[in-house]
Amino acid sequence: MSDTSRSSAGYDAVVIGGGVMGCSTALHLAQGGMRVAVVDRGPLCREASGVNAGTLTLHMTRAALVPYAMRAWQMWMDAEKWLGMGVLATHVPGLTLAFTEAECELVELRAKARREYGAPIEVITPARAREIEPGVHPGLLKAGYCDIDGFASAYLTGRAFRHALVGAGVDVIENAAVESIDSGDAGHTVRFSAASGRASLKAARIVLAGGVWIENMLAWLGVQIPIKVLINQLIVTERIRPVMRTVLSVANGLLSLKQFANGTVLIGGGWQGEGDRDRGGLEARPQNLVGNMRLAAYAVPALAEARIARIWLGLEAETADAMPIIGDVPGVPRAFVVGSAHSGYTSGPFMGRIMAQHILGQQPDLPLFDPARLLGMPMPGA
Amino acid sequence: MAEAQTSSVDLVVIGAGPAGARAALRAQACGLDVLLVDENPDAGGQVWRPLPLGFSRAGDASPSPEAVQGDALRAEVRKSGVRCLFGHKVWNVGSGLRIDLIGPDGVVSWQPRAVLVATGTTERVLPFPGWTQPGVIGLAAATILLKSQNMLPGRRTLVAGTGPLLLAVANGILKAGGEVAAVLDLASRRDWLRTLPSLAARPDLLWQGAQWQIALRKAGVPVLYRHGIESVEAVAGGLRIRARQVDGAGAPVASASSRVFEADAVAAGHGLVPGTDVTRLLRARHRYDAARGGWIADADAEGRTSLAGVYVAGDGAGIAGAAAAGAHGEMAAVACAFDLGRLSARDHARERDRLSAQWRKPARFGRAMAGLMALKQGAVAGIPPATVVCRCEDVTRAEIDAAARDGARDVNQLKAWTRCGMGPCQGRTCSDVAGALLAAHVGSREAAGCFTGRAPLRPVSLAEVAGDYTYADIPIPKAAPL
Amino acid sequence: MTQSSSPATFSLRADQAVRRGPAVHFLADGVSVPAFEGESVAAALFASGWRELRRSPRDGAPRGMFCLMGSCQECLVWVGSRKLPSCQVPVAAGLEIETMAFREQRIG
Repeated sequence: MSDTSRSSAGYDAVVIGGGVMGCSTALHLAQGGMRVAVVDRGPLCREASGVNAGTLTLHMTRAALVPYAMRAWQMWMDAEKWLGMGVLATHVPGLTLAFTEAECELVELRAKARREYGAPIEVITPARAREIEPGVHPGLLKAGYCDIDGFASAYLTGRAFRHALVGAGVDVIENAAVESIDSGDAGHTVRFSAASGRASLKAARIVLAGGVWIENMLAWLGVQIPIKVLINQLIVTERIRPVMRTVLSVANGLLSLKQFANGTVLIGGGWQGEGDRDRGGLEARPQNLVGNMRLAAYAVPALAEARIARIWLGLEAETADAMPIIGDVPGVPRAFVVGSAHSGYTSGPFMGRIMAQHILGQQPDLPLFDPARLLGMPMPGA
Repeated sequence: MAEAQTSSVDLVVIGAGPAGARAALRAQACGLDVLLVDENPDAGGQVWRPLPLGFSRAGDASPSPEAVQGDALRAEVRKSGVRCLFGHKVWNVGSGLRIDLIGPDGVVSWQPRAVLVATGTTERVLPFPGWTQPGVIGLAAATILLKSQNMLPGRRTLVAGTGPLLLAVANGILKAGGEVAAVLDLASRRDWLRTLPSLAARPDLLWQGAQWQIALRKAGVPVLYRHGIESVEAVAGGLRIRARQVDGAGAPVASASSRVFEADAVAAGHGLVPGTDVTRLLRARHRYDAARGGWIADADAEGRTSLAGVYVAGDGAGIAGAAAAGAHGEMAAVACAFDLGRLSARDHARERDRLSAQWRKPARFGRAMAGLMALKQGAVAGIPPATVVCRCEDVTRAEIDAAARDGARDVNQLKAWTRCGMGPCQGRTCSDVAGALLAAHVGSREAAGCFTGRAPLRPVSLAEVAGDYTYADIPIPKAAPL
Repeated sequence: MTQSSSPATFSLRADQAVRRGPAVHFLADGVSVPAFEGESVAAALFASGWRELRRSPRDGAPRGMFCLMGSCQECLVWVGSRKLPSCQVPVAAGLEIETMAFREQRIG
């Protein structure tokens, strides 16, 4: 908690939401000389940022976000340098697999689209794919191959960022739920409640980094932008013998598969469970568990014998055009928003950097994603 | 499941031990359509385990009380015609109470209107250097080995820990022709004497206890009160155990010298922890009650939890002993039958009062024993830093303390930062001790919390859940945008 | 595999109060182990002096049966394509089980 003198003078920036994007933004702002606080209603990186599959792939990243993901990929690989603590980021190649003719077309399309944005993805034969990944199903028809791929252990993210933020002099305020924000010419007052009672922070600038809750946060400021909530199911096995050595996905986008150094295999792919923004992830949908597992055990037959240790859910944010929301909050001075990058963990650290660069008045390394475009844009299928 | 048929029933009872089996029988008697499930091959739970298939009782000695009670219960279940699914693991319970099971023929699902959770307890073993050695088993584990497998843990066994199982196991070993190197009890004689009033109604147990003491004395077995295991190490020919004196909280007394014992096996156990896997998965409200064994579902006297249609009974609801478990199971069944509209208010009240009176005395004894078995904070504090706490993941006490110092505030954050609880035992072995260690940093067990419940309730393989399929059988939802 | 070195082979089986099922043999890692039908594989191995069943993941420390009730996951063995706690696997004539390390080394 900040001391009295700090809170009366106020922060240069208060970041609301302590996931990867919020923490990265806060860290870069602090390194830029600002006095910063991060507030989260729970512990740092315990929502999407701590429970996602940790895939650092270009195959499943939106084509237009490939340049961002590539830069973020390097940041994850170098995490120990700039965070002081790593997330076990591991560089292995990534294969996206096609088992049907329709999927073969998708592999070609997706590779081409990503190549246009700079991803080194080539389409390879099943024989070549089997050389790279011997454990893949013999029925493989085609694969997309990318050398720049890998994974991290998402659950380590909170500890790493906490370390870095504290070291950079950022005030980390966990288990404090922000309830409202008063914004005016003099700046913002962020009101929150914690176990110790209610309190407030004064901030010259605020950054909304609340993931799926960005919609709620924008509403505090009177801005209506819908954010879709995906309830992703994840499955992890117990430690098993080495059965794969790349990151695998399927061309239809519905499988992510990786085996960590500790032998556990993480199965994801965006299969939906039950839940919502208010109550969080509630439970898995059995038919979607079965579907996800069948796809996994099909892609790597050796997985059939693997025992599942744990199933959980994570909430992922998506905007109406499936592109991130990064920039100025429309109509509210000195208020910013960063999030909804879809595969946001992959690109998170870099998105936080460009957000901070913008706030510090620097030229961002890559263009932001103007939130104003989303005003009035209907959510597809709403 | 997509293809698996889901059958309907009024009530599923999970766990066919003393509480669950009696609950199922009572529920059926109240006119409910019941299904009783258990992963074991027959009813009886841990305390009343049947003999393995193919074994039969022999010898001159009359069968033990547990054998008699267990056999009688199994016979009653068989005779009653209550539908049973033995050899089936419950791997998931949906929020709508759908029960997903894995059995020898694959997956099967049942949709009840209510669930009665009678899953009993697991054993708490406080870690000590060398506790992960082969040849070191739990105390309740030794009971199972002796009573069910009719096997000794070793030629010469050291018995250590807390609670009524200590003397039971030591005597079981002597009776089976083995030697007992020593009995180490964290409790003092006075702690035991304090339980005497609860034994007033059980002169048979008092008598048995006295007989056991005599037998141990006759065999020259040292029985050391206020003593615990300092370490176990593998040496040529077996195990060397260092025993040390402890204080009332279980903390080592620094000034006292250790005693050394030689044995080829160790049976060590420090109480029982209620099994809350199912109720945590369902997100029922839980509370911490050290005297009842630790975290338990917050339930009323009849076993109603904070979730409609979800009941708990037996030691899994808070330790009160096997003798009380049956009455508790019946109470929960009666409450359920009433709540489902199958019992009049008058009948419910009459049965509840009758069963409650039946429950009171054995529960008093059971709770006194639970008090002896409650976690001793001083013993937790005495765990050396390099000692493994999470067996599945080799996480030591030092790593847990380091995570706490780094800011881990609850056991779920601790799990994320250390992997403690991420292994295939799903935290059942380590969660109580991990919670106690973290509580020392964050102020209370309540603040430290308990592991969030997750499916599967037991590890299941992809093959078991996925079944037989072709690529075309995989239900593919809409593909991701480009 | 830790074999008992006791020459006068003290038997851990206590036969005072039971008659066991038929004496059988089962294969563990290709080795024939004498047992009695219906016993748990964990107990049968233990009685034959085979107490180490696996190695811990990080420290490589020897582990064996512990809780005997199917909870702790220490006594896991492969039975065909299934990984099961051996304390819950009954011995039957012709049963073949493999320990974790043995299968891993066999499959390569």
